Amino acid sequence: MKKPELLSPAGDLERLKIALLYGADAVYIGGYFNLRANTPNFTIEDIKEGVDYAHKLNKKVYVTVNIAMHNKEYEKVRPYLEELKKINVDAIIVSDPAIIQMAKEIGLTIHLSTQGSTLNKKAVEYWQNEGVSRVVLARECTKEDIKDIKEENNIELEVFIHGAMCASYSGRCVLSNFLTNRDSNRGGCSQICRWDFDLYNEDKKLEGEKPFTFCSKDLSLAKHIPDLVQLNVDSLKIEGRMRSIYYIATVVKTYRKIIDEYCDNPKNYKYHEEYEKILDEVANRDSIPQFFDGNFGKEVQYYNGRTETTNQDFIGLVLEYNNNLAKVQQRNHFKIGDNVEIFGPKTNIKFKIDEIYDEDMNRIDVVRHPKQIVYLKVPEKVDKNYMIKCIDKKKNV
Amino acid sequence: MGKISVIISSIKQGIDLKDMVDAYLLPLKDLSINYPNTFSISEIKKIQKLGKEVYVFINKNIHNNELDILKDNLRKIEKLNVDGIIFYDIAIVQLKKELNLKTDLVWHQEHLTTNYGTANYWYDKGVKYTYLSSELTKREIEEIKQKAKCKTFINVFGYLPMFTSRRHLVKNYMDTFKIKENGTKIYKEGKYYNIDDTKNGTTVYSDYILNIKEDMSADYLVFNGNMIEEKIFKEVLKDYKNNKFKEETGFLYKETIYKVK
Repeated sequence: MKKPELLSPAGDLERLKIALLYGADAVYIGGYFNLRANTPNFTIEDIKEGVDYAHKLNKKVYVTVNIAMHNKEYEKVRPYLEELKKINVDAIIVSDPAIIQMAKEIGLTIHLSTQGSTLNKKAVEYWQNEGVSRVVLARECTKEDIKDIKEENNIELEVFIHGAMCASYSGRCVLSNFLTNRDSNRGGCSQICRWDFDLYNEDKKLEGEKPFTFCSKDLSLAKHIPDLVQLNVDSLKIEGRMRSIYYIATVVKTYRKIIDEYCDNPKNYKYHEEYEKILDEVANRDSIPQFFDGNFGKEVQYYNGRTETTNQDFIGLVLEYNNNLAKVQQRNHFKIGDNVEIFGPKTNIKFKIDEIYDEDMNRIDVVRHPKQIVYLKVPEKVDKNYMIKCIDKKKNV
Repeated sequence: MGKISVIISSIKQGIDLKDMVDAYLLPLKDLSINYPNTFSISEIKKIQKLGKEVYVFINKNIHNNELDILKDNLRKIEKLNVDGIIFYDIAIVQLKKELNLKTDLVWHQEHLTTNYGTANYWYDKGVKYTYLSSELTKREIEEIKQKAKCKTFINVFGYLPMFTSRRHLVKNYMDTFKIKENGTKIYKEGKYYNIDDTKNGTTVYSDYILNIKEDMSADYLVFNGNMIEEKIFKEVLKDYKNNKFKEETGFLYKETIYKVK
């Protein structure tokens, strides 16, 4: 049985390193000409550092170059692709065929972005013939679609398994362009699909208990990992290049466990509801399998407004460990007496905080200041980049 | 001047406009989206008899289980000898090759047909026409016309699709909140947008009717009569540059941005 790649988003170098540490086999990142224009993104130097870092771990970095170019981008993109080739990225993720043509000429490995909305085996065959080595399938594909496409083509398939969904077919939404003058297909999406609207039948307003919205629940295929492995899917992709290190660590670690547990012992594999609970704790919205099981009825919609969860239970990041003390960077308020859990890629330690020291080693009771450096007594050895969550804090919805 | 090309709502309307148009663009029944009125193969034949150029929209995203119906329709259209198939899904390019079809193709990935380089990519693959995105500036359209090898279509009149989803967004809302009447419009910040939930999914249209009256560099100027009173549509076609309705230039002079920081 082939173990699929676990592919994580990474919005910056810190998140890239966290994703790989917590079990991702590969990360995808954005530099220029990608669909997250309003995040910090990676410079060429950052990409090189990320690629070198990943390659030392025998892992991969894919770079998204997935905008629908206008003329001015078309004239600028080639030198960027040449730079990516020089720094040895493992693949670029592309939707515009003109970039595919250039990437072929330059010798880059090409993955077709989900922006290509590839839903059928004939479209996959076309791209295979064009030299694309992997297709990221459209999120509207069902399990049966994936099965048929995989059986009929000799090409790698990548499938989204977790994260937010576009309400539209990818690439078929310009609500941002019309309502906010921001080009959604060049990285400016202002997420109009999350807005509330009034719905009318001609002149009559139709009133439900909640306002009308296009907003969809999120995707989670945690329960369906065995199906995806059996379908011989090559890469399982997590959405969310703008998500935090805490989110990345939690989601990647959870899927790493599920994939490993199933692939290492499929006969005795049992799905643990606890994984779903962990994923729910860091989620913004309810999650469901979406189109995978062929269901896109009313259950896919999310009518709970724009309030989104913040992960206030993430209280600190371990910077180093010495003599029972973890040097910690604060991420949210915590205090003596809090019940916490420190987790690393393969570790979970629960305990009650009873000793905190400031940078001058004075005992303190409360850690209030963002990014404050403190020392925390912990019962077992921990490592750099372990994360601390407060298990007393409920989801702040 | 570009050829006057129309998207009509019925055969009757097509006949009525016969002397004012050069080409008909007909959304194919079951395989097109974003046009409330579609045409069967036999209806397309009737329009062909009017002696004008005929292009057929097959512009929905093709799901894997729709490939057979797509193939069947492509074969039927091949026999009609129409002037082109206006496509969205790349499966159509693959099937043209596999089925050895001679019908020309028009690249029309709605909002993604945005530069001359990609138009030339498709031209080199045998796609002779590009139907440009409506989110382009006039300068971009002119540059594409100058540098692309293909012939171009552009929208100059009618409502514009802004959003297409597989989901049944209106039906899902009505089912969730047990509402009996069908939602046909959505409202936000002083503007109403038509919304149409069909068996193929949901489309949302612009709040305005595009109405470009100036000269445009394109081979085909597309006038979309869907959701427009037939009388008004005919009035526009009589002399579109001097029509009495409100001018609306869309994105011609409104360049979109994507980096806001």
